[in-house]
Amino acid sequence: MISFTCYNVTDDRFSKFKNKGKDSAKRREKRIEVCVQLRKAQKDEEVCKRRNMSMSSVVDEEALSPEYISDEKVASLSIEDIIKEVKSSCRESQTRGCQAARKLLSQERNPPMKEIIDAGLLSCFVAFLGMDDEPSLQFEAAWALTNIASGTPWHTQQVVDHGAVQPFISLLTSPHLHIREQAVWALGNIAGDGPHYRDALIDCGVIPAILALTCSSLQVGYLRNITWTISNLCRNKNPFPPLSAVQQLLPCVTQLLHHSDQDILCDSCWAISYLTDGDNDRIDIVVKTGIVPRLVELMGHDELSVMTPALRSIGNMVSGSDLQTQMVIDAGVLAMLPRLMRHPKASVQKEAAWALSNIVAGPCKQIQQVITCGLLPLLVELLRTGDFKTQREAVWAVTNFTSGGTVEQVVQLVQSGALEAIIDLLQVKDAKVILVILEAINNMLLAAEKIRETEKLTLLIEEMGGLDRIEMLQNHSNEMVYQAAHNLIEKYFADVSELYNALQLSVTRV
Amino acid sequence: MATVAGKKAKKAEEEEQPAAAAAAAAEEEEEEEYVVEKVLDRRVVKGKAEFLLKWKGFSDEDNTWEPEDNLDCPDLIAEYMQKHKEKEEKKKEGKRKAASEASGDSEERGSKRKKEEGEKARGFGRGLQPERIIGATDSSGELMFLMKWKNSDEADLVPAKEANIKCPQVVISFYEERLTWHSYPTEEEEKKEEEKKD
Repeated sequence: MISFTCYNVTDDRFSKFKNKGKDSAKRREKRIEVCVQLRKAQKDEEVCKRRNMSMSSVVDEEALSPEYISDEKVASLSIEDIIKEVKSSCRESQTRGCQAARKLLSQERNPPMKEIIDAGLLSCFVAFLGMDDEPSLQFEAAWALTNIASGTPWHTQQVVDHGAVQPFISLLTSPHLHIREQAVWALGNIAGDGPHYRDALIDCGVIPAILALTCSSLQVGYLRNITWTISNLCRNKNPFPPLSAVQQLLPCVTQLLHHSDQDILCDSCWAISYLTDGDNDRIDIVVKTGIVPRLVELMGHDELSVMTPALRSIGNMVSGSDLQTQMVIDAGVLAMLPRLMRHPKASVQKEAAWALSNIVAGPCKQIQQVITCGLLPLLVELLRTGDFKTQREAVWAVTNFTSGGTVEQVVQLVQSGALEAIIDLLQVKDAKVILVILEAINNMLLAAEKIRETEKLTLLIEEMGGLDRIEMLQNHSNEMVYQAAHNLIEKYFADVSELYNALQLSVTRV
Repeated sequence: MATVAGKKAKKAEEEEQPAAAAAAAAEEEEEEEYVVEKVLDRRVVKGKAEFLLKWKGFSDEDNTWEPEDNLDCPDLIAEYMQKHKEKEEKKKEGKRKAASEASGDSEERGSKRKKEEGEKARGFGRGLQPERIIGATDSSGELMFLMKWKNSDEADLVPAKEANIKCPQVVISFYEERLTWHSYPTEEEEKKEEEKKD
């Protein structure tokens, strides 16, 4: 409690003070009450901080249920009452009604979006957006419309069709930070609906307006919203965002990638992942910003929410040209992969295996780098112990390796245990995977031929139980599988199973 | 040695086994000719194709690379190319984009977000009108006021710096309410205090 000592005062003024006339017991009581409130508010603030961006537990659970009638005068107006208030000509009523609508639309379960829309309130809210002399009203309307736009495509369409886009873009220059922030959020929801609205916003000039906000804003919460909305402007394909838009947004995104806040990093990485999820020209635009080393660094971030989109972005980039892949390798990706290939989360292992499969689809020089970094044993580990989706990616890695690798490299691959591991996988149900494995085996035999070790390899395959499996695959229901299996047998194992084949063929011809 | 031998590799059309035919043809000719038994590998050097050849009657240690132009064993080469054609095509398809395979059901980020009650909206960000300040604290290192808002029972903390600008009258009321008055001690009373301490 603060108190001041003051001298030289007249009785007149003294008698007007609040505490005059109250006994000390009452004043003490009041002080205690305020202290308790202060402590509670501080505790709640700390809880909010710890929970980061998640829904605050500060909010009274009771207040979320529709039956709750709080002391707040506007909490649970019926929609009818809301309509009356909002459509009145009195500013205070409008604010009360709009706030009540906002609260309903903010409730956790079943916000009455359709009812609000059917009540014809959207045009009122949109009109409120333009009332620069009534910032409270603007804010409530902006929030209400944000939440409606967060619904289904139909809901978002309602917001757009009622003309909200231009007013929201105008609000990006509001003198009030919380209103600008709300407009950013609403526009993010509209952009996130799909490429159509995204491009419509871009045509309305949303990008320069949003970029202008990033210059001055340092408040983390505000910047988080901006980053998320920017990521939605980068999002979606068919079509991709216009190249000019991407060129404008990228410098900002690359800057945000150097921020330390994890939510900002998360959404910035997602933005990059969207921009790199395309043909090599799109990847090129991103790679040229020089952001690759930072992305590789973020692959090692402690937070899954940051590491996942960083890994996706890198995975996208190594699906590009050999040159683009080399840049990613030069940035140190191979050193980051082991941890990810051993990550407790299966989807991380899978994406790491996918990225690796694309790296080894490159020239033998890049394959050599993979070997040098000790990734072969890890690949074999994934083949043996990964979940099926991971194993599938790992199988692709093996086949790509055998396709581009030199004979020496293929020998090393076989020696690492990969051949045995893929032979074990021949019993899976997925026909495509079987085909990929058979191709790998075929490539290995082609390599063996070059150094005249075909017999050695066929013997090895037989010892590993591969011959039996491949023979059985000649009966597989999938035509391509039995064809491929048959070709393999005929080319390399004919002398072993010639007789068997002859019998087999004569039977099936009937 | 290599260049001469390459020219001599021929195949008789009726024979099934090119190597054997070449051998048969070679037997009828001079003994210095060398016969290609098999084409093992292909590479491109300075824009020109070369093939790795296994020579009949020689061990693998004597395998050599020969320029394509010097060779006259089209069928052996055709056999090799056929075997490896599929492999070359597959190699170009080696890279697989995200949409096709890996990312199908992986993590994604929500495309839309609803703003819920109380979420991040604190202090002046809630857009409410200040009613009065009911307390103050500086335990966080910064002076904060506990603000009661109009039409709300939820009070929360706002930085004094912000409040001083946004609602100065409210701040002044707060300070005025808490002024406590002490009468100024006379000189005699001060001396008594000092004597007591001694």
